Amino acid sequence: MSDHVVPVTEDGGAPVPMGEPTPFRRLVAVEARKLVDTRSGLILTAVLVGLTVASVVARGVVVGPRALTALGTAGIALGTLLPVLGILTVTAEWSHRTALTTFALEPRRVRVLAAKCLPPLIAAVAASLLALLAAVLVTAVVAEVRHVPATWDVSPLVLLGWTGVNVLVVAEGLALGMLLMNAPAAIVVCLAGPLMWGVVARLGAAGEAVAGWLDLNTTAAPLASAEMTGGDLARLVVSVAFWIAAPMAAGLARAVRREVT
Amino acid sequence: MIEFNHVSKLYKGVKALDDVSFTVGAGSVTAFLGPNGAGKSTALRILVGLSLATSGAATVFGRAYAELDGPAHRVGTMFDPNAYHPGRTGRETLTLGAMTLGLPRRRVDEVLDLVGLTHRESRRAVKGYSLGMRQRLGVAHALLGRPGVLVLDEPGNGLDPQGMRWMRGLLRGLADSGCAVLLSSHLLHEVEEVADRVVVVGHGRVLAQGTMDELNRGRNLEQTFFDLTAGADRSTA
Repeated sequence: MSDHVVPVTEDGGAPVPMGEPTPFRRLVAVEARKLVDTRSGLILTAVLVGLTVASVVARGVVVGPRALTALGTAGIALGTLLPVLGILTVTAEWSHRTALTTFALEPRRVRVLAAKCLPPLIAAVAASLLALLAAVLVTAVVAEVRHVPATWDVSPLVLLGWTGVNVLVVAEGLALGMLLMNAPAAIVVCLAGPLMWGVVARLGAAGEAVAGWLDLNTTAAPLASAEMTGGDLARLVVSVAFWIAAPMAAGLARAVRREVT
Repeated sequence: MIEFNHVSKLYKGVKALDDVSFTVGAGSVTAFLGPNGAGKSTALRILVGLSLATSGAATVFGRAYAELDGPAHRVGTMFDPNAYHPGRTGRETLTLGAMTLGLPRRRVDEVLDLVGLTHRESRRAVKGYSLGMRQRLGVAHALLGRPGVLVLDEPGNGLDPQGMRWMRGLLRGLADSGCAVLLSSHLLHEVEEVADRVVVVGHGRVLAQGTMDELNRGRNLEQTFFDLTAGADRSTA
């Protein structure tokens, strides 16, 4: 039976209405809406915006009109909250059992999960631009008010690298959330990671080498300072494979096979 | 329109479903009846691809659910009234469904009217809904795409007597307009009044199936049900 003709039911009764597959952009729009249509989602967004702007403004006021310093301060809030945003986005359906409805509406689970990943990644870019805007305004205003020259030391390459780091931390959250399918577990792993690597790096030369290749925070640092060498790039690729690509692939495989109950 | 063809499901070494075969035709209400743990929900989830059969196949419109183009336009499903995000309003829950299916927003109001949820109720968070309201929300969600097949897991749970009567009328009306309705239940009296056909399951096996009259042979359904499930009862297993 072709889907393009309207078949008649066995007893010659009512015609069967034809469906159309949901296009990917529509899935992305739905998943973007799910980020902000609950109170908890709105609060997380408000905290993300508020902390980003507040930290940039506070630092700018204290250290004076230095754009890069003000901008970098936002990284502290974003580095912690963006992974959490990613984790909550991909684990919510399992925590609230809404996967039953979501995967009945769209059985192609990989497409649903891919659609879930896009809005947080876009949010990381938007948050980076917001931090830049705040840093520029604060630097200009502080320089004007205090009559001191502003330091405009944010090069396009640095901004690009810094935004890239923010995208990577969201991707790490998404990947760990997809793999573990459990928000508390993924948040603990994500936030305990830097602590763990801090300890590992102090365990002699071997520990330092391992941390130098696998600690995403360390390997991504040259990206933010726009001082990437060939060796740095290799380290970054290895840590991204370990913390993002591998868990994401395993998480997708797990989600496709999983019994939804 | 729905066909279960020798469906078996092994779950952690236990046969949750054992060679289940039955069909549901257009314009009829079929009740999937059995005690708790008989495998009813598992069978319905397999039909929609939320769970995978170990062997055999379940099809809708002659195909696996996931292989239909836009399956939720053609098959409306409701699995668990508690599986809606507690922080979303009922209206928002339906809006997300309507968006996914590419339906106009007025369809949300239409299905709200169909299930008797007021506009005021629809703007409240689902966490404040009674079980009966969640069932209505679930049915509204299932009806969004004007499906020709309805699959409802325990739709009568938590409904008050008025709600029961409403649900019977709704399902009868849908079947009379050509829908194939498959619902699961352990509420015998509820099923007796609305179902054209009954499939009785126990311990994952189909114990009996047929029209009400064929199964009852003059007795009431409750007696028939207990006779059939006696061997499959937990206490005697």
